[in-house]
Amino acid sequence: MRGGAAVRHWRAQRIIALVLIPLVLWLVESLLAHLGANRTEIRSWLGEPLPAVAAALLVAVAFYHLALGVRVVLEDYVHTPGRLAAALIANRVVCWALALIALAAVATLAFGS
Amino acid sequence: MSPAERPLSPHLQIYRPQLTSVLSIMHRGTGLALGAGAFFFVWWLSGAAWSDTCFAAAQWFWGSWLGKLFLLGWTFSLFYHLLNGVRHLLWDIGVGFDLRSTYRTGWTVVVCSVLLTLFAFGGGLYAWGSP
Repeated sequence: MRGGAAVRHWRAQRIIALVLIPLVLWLVESLLAHLGANRTEIRSWLGEPLPAVAAALLVAVAFYHLALGVRVVLEDYVHTPGRLAAALIANRVVCWALALIALAAVATLAFGS
Repeated sequence: MSPAERPLSPHLQIYRPQLTSVLSIMHRGTGLALGAGAFFFVWWLSGAAWSDTCFAAAQWFWGSWLGKLFLLGWTFSLFYHLLNGVRHLLWDIGVGFDLRSTYRTGWTVVVCSVLLTLFAFGGGLYAWGSP
Protein backbone atom coordinates (compact mmCIF):
# COMPACT_ATOMS: atom_id res chain seq x y z
CA MET A 1 0.00 0.00 0.00
CA ARG A 2 1.23 3.53 -0.73
CA GLY A 3 1.66 6.02 2.10
CA GLY A 4 -1.55 8.00 1.68
CA ALA A 5 -3.67 4.91 1.15
CA ALA A 6 -2.24 3.24 4.26
CA VAL A 7 -3.10 6.27 6.41
CA ARG A 8 -6.64 6.35 4.99
CA HIS A 9 -7.00 2.60 5.66
CA TRP A 10 -5.82 3.05 9.26
CA ARG A 11 -8.10 6.02 9.91
CA ALA A 12 -11.13 4.44 8.22
CA GLN A 13 -10.76 1.22 10.24
CA ARG A 14 -10.75 3.21 13.52
CA ILE A 15 -13.70 5.47 12.66
CA ILE A 16 -15.69 2.45 11.49
CA ALA A 17 -14.80 0.56 14.66
CA LEU A 18 -16.23 3.41 16.75
CA VAL A 19 -19.45 3.42 14.71
CA LEU A 20 -19.69 -0.37 15.06
CA ILE A 21 -19.64 -0.36 18.88
CA PRO A 22 -23.25 0.80 19.44
CA LEU A 23 -24.51 -0.99 16.31
CA VAL A 24 -23.10 -4.36 17.38
CA LEU A 25 -24.53 -4.03 20.89
CA TRP A 26 -27.90 -3.21 19.30
CA LEU A 27 -27.58 -6.30 17.05
CA VAL A 28 -26.87 -8.65 19.98
CA GLU A 29 -29.81 -7.26 21.93
CA SER A 30 -32.11 -7.48 18.90
CA LEU A 31 -31.09 -11.02 17.95
CA LEU A 32 -31.63 -12.19 21.53
CA ALA A 33 -35.06 -10.56 21.48
CA HIS A 34 -35.93 -12.33 18.20
CA LEU A 35 -34.69 -15.87 18.88
CA GLY A 36 -36.92 -18.34 17.08
CA ALA A 37 -38.90 -15.53 15.44
CA ASN A 38 -40.67 -16.41 12.19
CA ARG A 39 -40.48 -14.41 8.95
CA THR A 40 -43.53 -12.30 9.80
CA GLU A 41 -42.01 -11.31 13.13
CA ILE A 42 -38.66 -10.45 11.49
CA ARG A 43 -40.52 -8.38 8.90
CA SER A 44 -42.50 -6.46 11.51
CA TRP A 45 -39.26 -5.82 13.44
CA LEU A 46 -37.33 -4.48 10.42
CA GLY A 47 -40.50 -2.79 9.14
CA GLU A 48 -39.98 -0.18 11.86
CA PRO A 49 -37.89 2.78 10.63
CA LEU A 50 -35.24 2.85 13.37
CA PRO A 51 -34.31 -0.87 13.30
CA ALA A 52 -34.28 -0.80 9.49
CA VAL A 53 -31.87 2.15 9.40
CA ALA A 54 -29.70 0.59 12.13
CA ALA A 55 -29.59 -2.75 10.27
CA ALA A 56 -28.70 -1.08 6.94
CA LEU A 57 -25.98 1.01 8.60
CA LEU A 58 -24.63 -2.02 10.46
CA VAL A 59 -24.44 -4.11 7.30
CA ALA A 60 -22.69 -1.38 5.29
CA VAL A 61 -20.21 -0.53 8.02
CA ALA A 62 -19.52 -4.11 9.16
CA PHE A 63 -18.66 -5.35 5.66
CA TYR A 64 -16.37 -2.35 5.12
CA HIS A 65 -14.65 -3.21 8.43
CA LEU A 66 -14.38 -6.86 7.34
CA ALA A 67 -12.92 -5.95 3.94
CA LEU A 68 -10.28 -3.70 5.54
CA GLY A 69 -9.41 -6.35 8.16
CA VAL A 70 -9.14 -9.25 5.71
CA ARG A 71 -6.99 -7.07 3.45
CA VAL A 72 -4.39 -6.70 6.22
CA VAL A 73 -4.40 -10.45 6.87
CA LEU A 74 -3.90 -11.18 3.15
CA GLU A 75 -1.07 -8.64 2.90
CA ASP A 76 0.60 -10.37 5.86
CA TYR A 77 0.33 -13.97 4.71
CA VAL A 78 0.10 -14.05 0.90
CA HIS A 79 3.64 -13.48 -0.31
CA THR A 80 3.36 -14.11 -4.07
CA PRO A 81 2.53 -10.77 -5.77
CA GLY A 82 0.14 -12.26 -8.36
CA ARG A 83 -1.71 -14.32 -5.79
CA LEU A 84 -1.93 -11.36 -3.43
CA ALA A 85 -3.44 -9.17 -6.15
CA ALA A 86 -6.02 -11.87 -6.96
CA ALA A 87 -6.82 -12.41 -3.28
CA LEU A 88 -7.29 -8.68 -2.69
CA ILE A 89 -9.71 -8.44 -5.61
CA ALA A 90 -11.60 -11.53 -4.41
CA ASN A 91 -11.84 -9.98 -0.94
CA ARG A 92 -13.39 -6.80 -2.34
CA VAL A 93 -15.79 -8.67 -4.60
CA VAL A 94 -17.02 -11.02 -1.86
CA CYS A 95 -17.43 -8.25 0.72
CA TRP A 96 -19.26 -6.01 -1.75
CA ALA A 97 -21.52 -8.87 -2.86
CA LEU A 98 -22.42 -9.88 0.71
CA ALA A 99 -23.04 -6.25 1.70
CA LEU A 100 -25.29 -5.62 -1.31
CA ILE A 101 -27.28 -8.84 -0.79
CA ALA A 102 -27.72 -7.99 2.90
CA LEU A 103 -28.74 -4.39 2.10
CA ALA A 104 -31.25 -5.61 -0.48
CA ALA A 105 -32.64 -8.06 2.10
CA VAL A 106 -32.98 -5.31 4.72
CA ALA A 107 -34.69 -3.05 2.15
CA THR A 108 -37.08 -5.86 1.16
CA LEU A 109 -37.93 -6.51 4.81
CA ALA A 110 -38.35 -2.78 5.47
CA PHE A 111 -40.42 -1.81 2.43
CA GLY A 112 -41.70 -5.14 1.06
CA SER A 113 -45.32 -6.27 1.29
CA MET B 1 11.86 -14.82 -7.86
CA SER B 2 10.59 -17.38 -5.39
CA PRO B 3 9.98 -15.79 -2.00
CA ALA B 4 10.75 -19.07 -0.17
CA GLU B 5 14.46 -18.88 -1.07
CA ARG B 6 15.11 -15.82 1.03
CA PRO B 7 16.05 -16.31 4.68
CA LEU B 8 12.98 -15.76 6.86
CA SER B 9 12.80 -13.91 10.14
CA PRO B 10 11.62 -16.05 13.08
CA HIS B 11 7.85 -16.45 13.10
CA LEU B 12 5.22 -17.30 15.73
CA GLN B 13 6.30 -20.87 16.52
CA ILE B 14 9.78 -19.68 17.57
CA TYR B 15 8.56 -17.56 20.48
CA ARG B 16 7.13 -18.58 23.83
CA PRO B 17 3.42 -17.62 23.89
CA GLN B 18 2.70 -14.54 26.01
CA LEU B 19 -0.61 -12.93 26.91
CA THR B 20 0.13 -9.99 24.62
CA SER B 21 0.89 -12.09 21.54
CA VAL B 22 -1.88 -14.62 22.18
CA LEU B 23 -4.50 -11.88 22.54
CA SER B 24 -3.23 -10.18 19.39
CA ILE B 25 -3.55 -13.41 17.40
CA MET B 26 -6.97 -14.01 18.92
CA HIS B 27 -8.09 -10.57 17.76
CA ARG B 28 -7.28 -11.57 14.21
CA GLY B 29 -8.76 -15.05 14.61
CA THR B 30 -12.04 -13.80 16.08
CA GLY B 31 -12.24 -11.15 13.35
CA LEU B 32 -11.95 -13.86 10.68
CA ALA B 33 -14.47 -16.04 12.54
CA LEU B 34 -16.93 -13.15 12.54
CA GLY B 35 -16.30 -12.75 8.81
CA ALA B 36 -17.30 -16.40 8.32
CA GLY B 37 -20.31 -15.74 10.56
CA ALA B 38 -21.33 -12.89 8.26
CA PHE B 39 -21.98 -15.46 5.49
CA PHE B 40 -24.44 -17.30 7.74
CA PHE B 41 -26.01 -14.02 8.84
CA VAL B 42 -26.62 -13.02 5.21
CA TRP B 43 -28.03 -16.49 4.52
CA TRP B 44 -30.52 -16.08 7.39
CA LEU B 45 -31.37 -12.48 6.46
CA SER B 46 -31.91 -13.38 2.77
CA GLY B 47 -34.20 -16.20 3.86
CA ALA B 48 -36.19 -13.80 6.02
CA ALA B 49 -36.50 -11.45 3.03
CA TRP B 50 -37.14 -13.80 0.14
CA SER B 51 -37.54 -17.50 0.86
CA ASP B 52 -39.46 -19.67 3.32
CA THR B 53 -37.28 -22.70 2.45
CA CYS B 54 -34.04 -20.78 2.97
CA PHE B 55 -35.28 -19.23 6.22
CA ALA B 56 -36.52 -22.58 7.58
CA ALA B 57 -33.14 -24.16 6.71
CA ALA B 58 -31.28 -21.37 8.53
CA GLN B 59 -33.56 -21.63 11.59
CA TRP B 60 -33.11 -25.42 11.60
CA PHE B 61 -29.34 -24.96 11.48
CA TRP B 62 -29.28 -22.56 14.46
CA GLY B 63 -31.36 -25.07 16.41
CA SER B 64 -28.99 -27.98 15.71
CA TRP B 65 -26.10 -28.73 18.08
CA LEU B 66 -23.58 -27.70 15.41
CA GLY B 67 -25.44 -24.42 14.85
CA LYS B 68 -25.49 -23.76 18.59
CA LEU B 69 -21.75 -24.50 18.79
CA PHE B 70 -21.15 -21.99 15.97
CA LEU B 71 -23.36 -19.45 17.75
CA LEU B 72 -21.37 -19.95 20.95
CA GLY B 73 -18.14 -19.36 19.03
CA TRP B 74 -19.52 -16.27 17.32
CA THR B 75 -20.91 -14.86 20.56
CA PHE B 76 -17.48 -15.15 22.17
CA SER B 77 -15.74 -13.85 19.03
CA LEU B 78 -18.04 -10.85 18.93
CA PHE B 79 -17.57 -9.85 22.57
CA TYR B 80 -13.84 -10.54 22.48
CA HIS B 81 -13.27 -8.60 19.24
CA LEU B 82 -15.46 -5.76 20.53
CA LEU B 83 -13.69 -5.43 23.90
CA ASN B 84 -10.20 -5.97 22.54
CA GLY B 85 -11.06 -3.53 19.75
CA VAL B 86 -11.82 -0.89 22.37
CA ARG B 87 -8.45 -1.77 23.96
CA HIS B 88 -6.81 -1.12 20.60
CA LEU B 89 -8.65 2.19 20.18
CA LEU B 90 -7.45 3.28 23.64
CA TRP B 91 -3.87 2.37 22.69
CA ASP B 92 -4.31 4.46 19.54
CA ILE B 93 -4.95 7.56 21.66
CA GLY B 94 -2.04 6.62 23.92
CA VAL B 95 -3.99 5.20 26.88
CA GLY B 96 -2.74 2.08 28.69
CA PHE B 97 0.26 1.55 26.47
CA ASP B 98 2.72 0.54 29.23
CA LEU B 99 3.39 -3.14 29.96
CA ARG B 100 1.55 -3.28 33.30
CA SER B 101 -1.63 -1.72 31.88
CA THR B 102 -1.41 -3.91 28.79
CA TYR B 103 -1.51 -7.04 30.94
CA ARG B 104 -4.23 -5.67 33.19
CA THR B 105 -6.51 -4.64 30.31
CA GLY B 106 -5.67 -7.90 28.52
CA TRP B 107 -6.91 -10.06 31.39
CA THR B 108 -9.92 -7.75 31.81
CA VAL B 109 -10.85 -8.33 28.17
CA VAL B 110 -10.52 -12.12 28.56
CA VAL B 111 -12.61 -12.31 31.75
CA CYS B 112 -15.27 -9.87 30.54
CA SER B 113 -15.71 -11.52 27.15
CA VAL B 114 -16.12 -14.95 28.79
CA LEU B 115 -18.67 -13.55 31.26
CA LEU B 116 -20.61 -11.67 28.57
CA THR B 117 -20.61 -14.78 26.39
CA LEU B 118 -21.98 -16.96 29.21
CA PHE B 119 -24.56 -14.30 30.03
CA ALA B 120 -25.77 -13.73 26.45
CA PHE B 121 -25.56 -17.35 25.32
CA GLY B 122 -27.08 -18.73 28.51
CA GLY B 123 -29.84 -16.13 28.40
CA GLY B 124 -30.43 -16.94 24.75
CA LEU B 125 -30.67 -20.68 25.37
CA TYR B 126 -33.04 -20.06 28.27
CA ALA B 127 -35.26 -17.71 26.24
CA TRP B 128 -35.25 -20.09 23.28
CA GLY B 129 -36.21 -23.04 25.46
CA SER B 130 -39.11 -21.19 27.07
CA PRO B 131 -40.58 -18.69 24.63
